[in-house]
Amino acid sequence: MIRSEGLYDAILNGDAKKAHAVTEAALAAGAAPMDLITGSMVPAMDEVGRLFETEEYFVPELLLAGRAMKSAMELLRPLMAMSGEKLAIRIVIGTVKGDMHDIGKNLVASMLEGSGFEVFDLGADVAPDKFVAAVEEHKPQVVCLSALLTVTMPAMKRTIDVLQAAGLRSQIKVLIGGAPVTGQYAKEIGADGYSDSASGAVSLVRQVVAEA
Amino acid sequence: MTSRERVFAVLSGQQPDHRPYMPITMMFAADILGVKYLQNIRDHKTMIAAQIKTAEMFGFDHVSTIAPTSEAVDLGAHFQWFDDQPPGIIEQEALLADKSALTRLPSPDSVFGASMEDRVRGVELLRQRVGNDLIVEGWVEGPCSDAADFRGMNRLMIDFSDDPEFVAHLFEYSVELATRFAAAQIAAGADIIGIGDPPSSLVGPRMYREQIWPFHKKLVDAIHANGAKVRLHVCGNTRRILADIRRLGCDLVDVDSPVPMEQARALAGPAQALIGNLDPVRDVRNGSPESIQESLEALQQSGGERWIVAAGCEIVRDTPHENLHAMRMFAQSHTAESVAT
Repeated sequence: MIRSEGLYDAILNGDAKKAHAVTEAALAAGAAPMDLITGSMVPAMDEVGRLFETEEYFVPELLLAGRAMKSAMELLRPLMAMSGEKLAIRIVIGTVKGDMHDIGKNLVASMLEGSGFEVFDLGADVAPDKFVAAVEEHKPQVVCLSALLTVTMPAMKRTIDVLQAAGLRSQIKVLIGGAPVTGQYAKEIGADGYSDSASGAVSLVRQVVAEA
Repeated sequence: MTSRERVFAVLSGQQPDHRPYMPITMMFAADILGVKYLQNIRDHKTMIAAQIKTAEMFGFDHVSTIAPTSEAVDLGAHFQWFDDQPPGIIEQEALLADKSALTRLPSPDSVFGASMEDRVRGVELLRQRVGNDLIVEGWVEGPCSDAADFRGMNRLMIDFSDDPEFVAHLFEYSVELATRFAAAQIAAGADIIGIGDPPSSLVGPRMYREQIWPFHKKLVDAIHANGAKVRLHVCGNTRRILADIRRLGCDLVDVDSPVPMEQARALAGPAQALIGNLDPVRDVRNGSPESIQESLEALQQSGGERWIVAAGCEIVRDTPHENLHAMRMFAQSHTAESVAT
């Protein structure tokens, strides 16, 4: 697989315009969308994640890299839809009902998308029935729930309960995260896992999907 | 010593009779009074009753008017309001979703609406009620918090790189607003002004140093010039910016649980008064009096002489009362001399 150094660098440097232009040029030259994703975008976001973990990158750099990646994906998605190509792992993610904080969720969504997963981001303050509707529509393997406040953590349990009541729970893995969330809490509410970092979430998704 | 004398002693490098104890309480305090949090932040009489009852019950050395969003509320920012938890900004409808709206904001000296006025009345009432026994703490939003409220957190993080000039103008506005708000609280009787600026911990050291630090410094100096002490509360991981925070000249700096206190002390230097940093959830809510005692014993060794007992951030609302009593007992039974040499 050939790496587009231009696309890799554009994402690493958070340059959305360049990422768009380089992707456009690569497609015009005959590059396959999936090759661009797996050969350039995923390695770039892997490196972004590594730099974030080692505290060389911080939230602004991660968001910029995510934006650059999205600008490339905007060009690739329609082509993949036309050819019937699908990313192997689909994830529904959102901040739970009552919680307006979405920056942590956005970081995780960017890292997941950058790892070659298809991510359906429902946003913040998401009611349980919206998660149910998204699972029914997108058929994900994984649902990620985020909460920043201790007072909104119970909405994670409510969401899991509603997914259970809708008969969907056995079809998906539910992962949770957010500053006050712990592994113990994940067990208490019947989630399948917990991560305290964006890159940890990527590993966790791979792990639970592999185990399914 | 009164509580006020005790805290001032630590801030000025003198020996207190024992460790001060100053945890942040917002929703927890509302619960202690038995009121909804929304009422707590909208009515200063309720907030003050909650603060005083909580301070008395758990032996705090301070009372505070801490609550986010007053400045943004008075500017007309769009929030999602909740009955019993903090409001959240609706980022899609942010006041400055369009950057050009910054030039149309009212002059900072004309922004003093019902929310800010209510907070100033709260400081005034606190001073009347506690006299000189407890520290009275006022509160302002730092430039990053204001900017996140006005513009949206995600946009702000991108703006740092895309449009640093806009960020600088926005921060200028915020600092002017905060300076006036702080001055009114100081005139009403605040001993110390807390600057709440959590988003500062999301950026790296270069961005902090170049784009945020000058505005923190300006605000710290302005509060000092108005005669109050300054506390800087930046929750999250501040390890990479603490060396720069040290140069701000704050009287008290919060350290949140992601930063090991030993590192915080090394970065901030021996003269900087620090407060923190038990994990509010894992240590304080989920812990026991015994585990808290053990954690605080370890913490004070690295916290050193100028260290105040608290969690790294807000005490969460369902924290067992015995755990807060354990923190008080630790504070009241330890002096700076308890630090092993």
